[in-house]
Amino acid sequence: MVERSQKDVWRLTPWLMIALLLVNFVLMAFDAREINSGQRVVRVWTQTTTDFVQSPVTTVSSAIANYFSSISNLRSAASENDILKQRVQELEVELQQKEELAAENTRLKGFLQLKEQSKYKVLTARIIGRDPSVWFDSSIVNRGSLDGVTVNMPVVTDGGLVGRVTAVSPLTSQVDLITRDKSGLGAVIGQIGESNALGVVNGTSKKDLLEMKYVPGNIDVQAGQSVFTTGQDGIFPPGLKVGEIVSVAQGSATTPHQILIRPAARLSSMQEVGILLYEPPARTEFEQTLPNAVKKK
Amino acid sequence: MEGVKLTISLIVAILLQITLRNVWEPLAFIDFPLIIVVYAALQRNSIRAILFGTIAGITTDALSGGLLGANGFTKTLIAYIISEIARRVYMDNLILRIPVLAGACLLNYLVYYWLHRLLGQAPSGDVLISGAYLLIGTTTVGTLIYAFLQNFGTDKVRRKKREMFTPRRLTRRRNPIRLNK
Repeated sequence: MVERSQKDVWRLTPWLMIALLLVNFVLMAFDAREINSGQRVVRVWTQTTTDFVQSPVTTVSSAIANYFSSISNLRSAASENDILKQRVQELEVELQQKEELAAENTRLKGFLQLKEQSKYKVLTARIIGRDPSVWFDSSIVNRGSLDGVTVNMPVVTDGGLVGRVTAVSPLTSQVDLITRDKSGLGAVIGQIGESNALGVVNGTSKKDLLEMKYVPGNIDVQAGQSVFTTGQDGIFPPGLKVGEIVSVAQGSATTPHQILIRPAARLSSMQEVGILLYEPPARTEFEQTLPNAVKKK
Repeated sequence: MEGVKLTISLIVAILLQITLRNVWEPLAFIDFPLIIVVYAALQRNSIRAILFGTIAGITTDALSGGLLGANGFTKTLIAYIISEIARRVYMDNLILRIPVLAGACLLNYLVYYWLHRLLGQAPSGDVLISGAYLLIGTTTVGTLIYAFLQNFGTDKVRRKKREMFTPRRLTRRRNPIRLNK
């Protein structure tokens, strides 16, 4: 084995550094090009490789975190017990009233012939990793192309819309959250068909806050109103709850409202999500010819 | 032994970076791999430091929404710069390492942001606030980690320090008054 002198090492280091910088730069350029083209081959392979480490590590770390949180919960259990005993008595009274209301509700549902059914197939997925940097709002879930997940599929929780799938490997997928500033979706304030307050919801630089643009200033908009997807963006199906309006800077006849929305889904603390196996309707031939249309490979 | 210790530290740092954000959101403001890469660079083994930088960076990027290779690029560059500085300037004191780590954090942050802007993938978030939190978080935790790491393997550092900075030759002063003679 050849022993290198300290001088040889010092002479070799700049060249090694330049080579590694070049490798990293080529990777970056390739990844940036792939983001724009929609086919992220390098990302898929690196993600697949890291998944073998990430999945078990996340499982162990969540188990440890749950164990410690259960211990801290025990400390407050005694005082909570007294409060709960009192609460049980109150609830018993409330329960009797609720039973009457439930019976009435069932009767009315039958009268209106309403059926609860989900329109899309939902694939439940567990979040196995959050973006390790502070810059990007993305998460990794434990479902991939082997489960039928494809790029651009919407991701939801029982609260509301979470984001969309941006990269898929065989076992995992990367989900970009709606709070990421590059995300955008068509939305409407109030129910579709009842309201004409249409606009575009974008992520903001602030956490847990979205911005709704292009809502005409002459439409009445109030804080507390709910915002839903319209389905016109060609990614998200219509009717998914995006969030609730928290503040409105009123516009005028010529300027749009400036609306801030709090996402309906608790994005920072979610553990499980649902991937909607939703294929958007095919675009018309005219739309395919538009210069900004995403071409299918 | 030093190499094994640093490799284990780097693996642990990457695992912490992956998992801690799940436990508590603000822990994302600590760049654990950067702390270890800077520490490795301060040991004056430049080849090991830049290899650590690339590996830690690419692994972090693989799990991030950012560009693949951006962290690898910044951490490799930082590892080289710091190892070159450490070769020329005495920096075995913990107090001296704090500004080095803070500077590395700032440079890492600026180059990372600039690379994304350059390739049309500007990161989200408030640049100043995120930068300030990252700087505070990484420097504070890094100082504690350095204090811990220094206590495990100081003999090796001392030996290396002796090789790098030969101490002044001590001449025995003749004692003019010779007792017992």
